[in-house]
Amino acid sequence: MTDNFLVAGPITSVLISELMTLGNHDSGAGAVSIFEGRVRDDEVDGKKVKALEYSAYNEMAEKEAAEIIRVVKSAFSDVRTVLFVHSTGIVKAGEVSLFIIVTAGHRDHAIRACRQTLELIKKKLPVWKKELF
Amino acid sequence: MKAVIRVLWFGVAQEIAGTAEEEFMAEDTATLRLLIFEKHPRMRNVKFRLALNGTILKKDGQLEKNDVVAVLPPFAGG
Repeated sequence: MTDNFLVAGPITSVLISELMTLGNHDSGAGAVSIFEGRVRDDEVDGKKVKALEYSAYNEMAEKEAAEIIRVVKSAFSDVRTVLFVHSTGIVKAGEVSLFIIVTAGHRDHAIRACRQTLELIKKKLPVWKKELF
Repeated sequence: MKAVIRVLWFGVAQEIAGTAEEEFMAEDTATLRLLIFEKHPRMRNVKFRLALNGTILKKDGQLEKNDVVAVLPPFAGG
């Protein structure tokens, strides 16, 4: 399990499998909600995006990520764990750049907390991307 | 009093500045903004916020020696 919210390069299926085991020991967690953000091969000015290059203000991002998790946990009483990882560096189209997992007692808070985590990441995490063609 | 401030550039601001980090002499963030615009006029066209020592500034204020100011264009994670 990683303690860092930022990982270099794409989020691999190995890391996702590892994160998916989160809460396996917790038999009160009846609901697990996940979100995967993947790089899209958008067309910009007639050119296809081959990859995105992510950069981050690392120190601030780690601090903000911990704060996002704290806020989500305090907003949803049924939530048991919240975790996410975000890529830095180059991630090719089709590859995963963001993975969120939330466990909760029941589905309602699991799904809503996952969505809120995503929205807070978009709003609060100091991460930038540059299109590579 | 003017102090040496470390400025960190991110996102499109880093492309404009052409570097990840630069030093400025400024006594407050309002002056620092002016110096940034003077040195990198294209920054006038960029929407950005400043973070002082890792915390986003809500209003301009004094700067002290060894402060680190980050120039943050709109975030684009996910």
